[in-house]
Amino acid sequence: MENTGEKEVICYHKLHREYPRRLLHYVDMPPRLFVRGVLPREDRATVAIVGARMCSYYGQVQAFEYAKALSQAGVQIISGMARGIDGHAHRGALAGGTPTFAVLGCGVDICYPRSNYDLYKKIPEQGGLLSELPLGYEPLPRNFPLRNRIISGLADLVLVIEAKEKSGSLITADFALEQGKTVYALPGRVSDELSYGCNRLIEQGAGIACSVESLLEELGISPGKSDKLLIKSQIRLESQKNMVYSCLDLQPQNLNQLLEKIPLSPEEVMGILLELQLEELIVEPMKNYYAKIK
Amino acid sequence: MFSSVLSAAIMGVECFPVRVEADVSDGLPMFNMVGYLTSQVREAQDRVKTAMRNMGIALPPKRVTINLSPGDLRKDGPAFDLPIAAAILTALGYLEEVMVKDVLIVGELSLDGSVHPVSGILAMVDKAKEMGCRACVLPKENWREGQIIQGIPVAGVSTLRETIEMLRSGDFERFQLENPVGEVFYREPEYSLDFDEIQGQEAVKRAAVVAAAGFHNFLMIGPPGAGKTMVARRLPTIMPQPSLEECIEISRIYSIAGLLPADSPLMAARPFRAPHHTLSPQALAGGGRIPRPGEITLAHRGILFLDELTEFSRVSLEILRQPLEDRQISIARAMGSFCFPANCMVVAAMNPCGCGYFPDMNRCTCRPGDISKYLRKISGPLLDRMDICVEAGAVEYQDIAVKRKKGPSSAELRKEITRVHKTQEERFRGTEIRFNSQIPGSELETYCPVEKQGRELLEKAYKKMNFSIRGYHRILKTARTIADLEGEEILLKSHISEAICYRKADKKYWKI
Repeated sequence: MENTGEKEVICYHKLHREYPRRLLHYVDMPPRLFVRGVLPREDRATVAIVGARMCSYYGQVQAFEYAKALSQAGVQIISGMARGIDGHAHRGALAGGTPTFAVLGCGVDICYPRSNYDLYKKIPEQGGLLSELPLGYEPLPRNFPLRNRIISGLADLVLVIEAKEKSGSLITADFALEQGKTVYALPGRVSDELSYGCNRLIEQGAGIACSVESLLEELGISPGKSDKLLIKSQIRLESQKNMVYSCLDLQPQNLNQLLEKIPLSPEEVMGILLELQLEELIVEPMKNYYAKIK
Repeated sequence: MFSSVLSAAIMGVECFPVRVEADVSDGLPMFNMVGYLTSQVREAQDRVKTAMRNMGIALPPKRVTINLSPGDLRKDGPAFDLPIAAAILTALGYLEEVMVKDVLIVGELSLDGSVHPVSGILAMVDKAKEMGCRACVLPKENWREGQIIQGIPVAGVSTLRETIEMLRSGDFERFQLENPVGEVFYREPEYSLDFDEIQGQEAVKRAAVVAAAGFHNFLMIGPPGAGKTMVARRLPTIMPQPSLEECIEISRIYSIAGLLPADSPLMAARPFRAPHHTLSPQALAGGGRIPRPGEITLAHRGILFLDELTEFSRVSLEILRQPLEDRQISIARAMGSFCFPANCMVVAAMNPCGCGYFPDMNRCTCRPGDISKYLRKISGPLLDRMDICVEAGAVEYQDIAVKRKKGPSSAELRKEITRVHKTQEERFRGTEIRFNSQIPGSELETYCPVEKQGRELLEKAYKKMNFSIRGYHRILKTARTIADLEGEEILLKSHISEAICYRKADKKYWKI
């Protein structure tokens, strides 16, 4: 172990006894690993959640919910702290309580992207930020696909949430298959470009991520008490409210689209949407776009 | 012989009287002009000399001196040709001193002695009336415009000879129209566009009606081809006709800018200005050595439509900030400081991202950073001044394919909005305020009483949605207009909730 000057950052050499044993099986693993925080525990099940940076609201919600449920079951979540799915997976994992780990494509003293500064601060409190690159190393595009091999190497199972046809997440899935890891993909609508990569993986034989239980089973963990993803609406609402609520979906819809479906005046619909929002049943992820919370 | 004739000059939107003095005395024959003149005015001497000769009046070989007083005011433009000619003719004895006394004369001369139109007539005639002049003599083409100001005889002339005859006869009232303003010029404008041509976009249409009713600034965000520009172009058709005083105020500005249409000298509708996004800051604010009104002033009491808001240069957009608050713009130049009115309603349209299709992930090709970069082009303070903000989503096929009942037409909507404007006129009688959007924060309590349930909703939303104080005020003002549309005196819960839906598009709404 060499101390690199900064107090919190530790550099583990490949020969060090704490260097992740999971990585030792593969040939192209980094000789040194810089860590801010701690390394993932060897005895715990680990799942990597990856996906598109430009993701849909549906993808955001699913990344968060899967990560949260898995984390609550004691699974360590690994991802790349990028924008989009990665970031939401980390947020879900932090909400779940089990330490989460991010493998960065730059030095661990650099926060990239800046918009995930909250994660950059929170992840090392219990989990850790990992990188094979020395401190001060700029985030260069060519390093991001490379760090994916560490993400898949550290995980027991790789879950792809959303990916377009040519996506970095598919590189992770390829690494995972080479390394002999299980790959799961979240199915999506065939008409959505963001589902293309996942549906393609399923076609090629990847597992279908229909529920957290199936993932936990795969990992050999008995599914305990966890949030269900499929929830039957048990919320009782006034009839007009109910009508508006039932027209909503996890995919955000524009106000105009809703007005086409609902035989009420724009003023009334807007009023109801606001009430539902204040009751925390729906969200407005973008201006005048509305979606169910879950 | 010395003589003096009254004329006028325009500075900004103000009119100043100018005395044109002529002195013809013995000495070496020459023609001198003094009085802080631009070269445009200096060129008048050749036009005047030639026009007089071509009319058959030879200038005697004497020393002619022309002075335009006050001497510290920069005089610009060709409007002094005719008064200079009149002053020389008086000094030479062709006209008597009493004939030109208290008559305001303006006009451009051509070499054959005919008189051409000039800009700024409305302000000049107004000034003449204020100064108690006997009459105004102006170019024939400007004559109809001059008629708008009541209570002062206005004579139109087409040649220098006619001018002399007119001044000699002193019969300025010969061609006066009977009540010209009310009957001839102040008529309801006609439009070739109509609001019922817009298919779908119910939410945007509703927001447009609210914006027009309360004169609220209005921002539309949506993909290309969704109908944002279409809605904006139809806004003037639902705007009630301005009052006569407002019409004169608008016409005055257009007269000075030289933009009054030849056939109707009174701007009987609210102006609609849609400058292209290559617009320079000076063209927006008003510019030039002697500043001329910019787009924001030309949109006074009307609509300033900024299509493709993000494509405007940042400098140009930031100019809007102060005038949107103060409703006037002051421009300082070496010549002095000029204050232009700028009480307009800003209507803007923009795409949600560079490619235009966000949040439709199947079509949006932007990279993650691009979207926030795109939106950073619009500063927060400017977004903050937009009272009403709506998303104009892509219209789906069934909206245009299915035959359906047409929405209300422009005429119906205009009737409704006229009623709301009347309500506001009565409410704010005796104050500076004209529309709900202009209510100052300190008076919101007086003008916007909220019922109990509405207050609870406001409190709940305020805590949950992190409004700023300004945002809170904006919601109340918009709710006031919505309540006026419904004919309610007190703001109900439904008015508040609709207003909250129109709150500004915060940057966080695009966060991925």
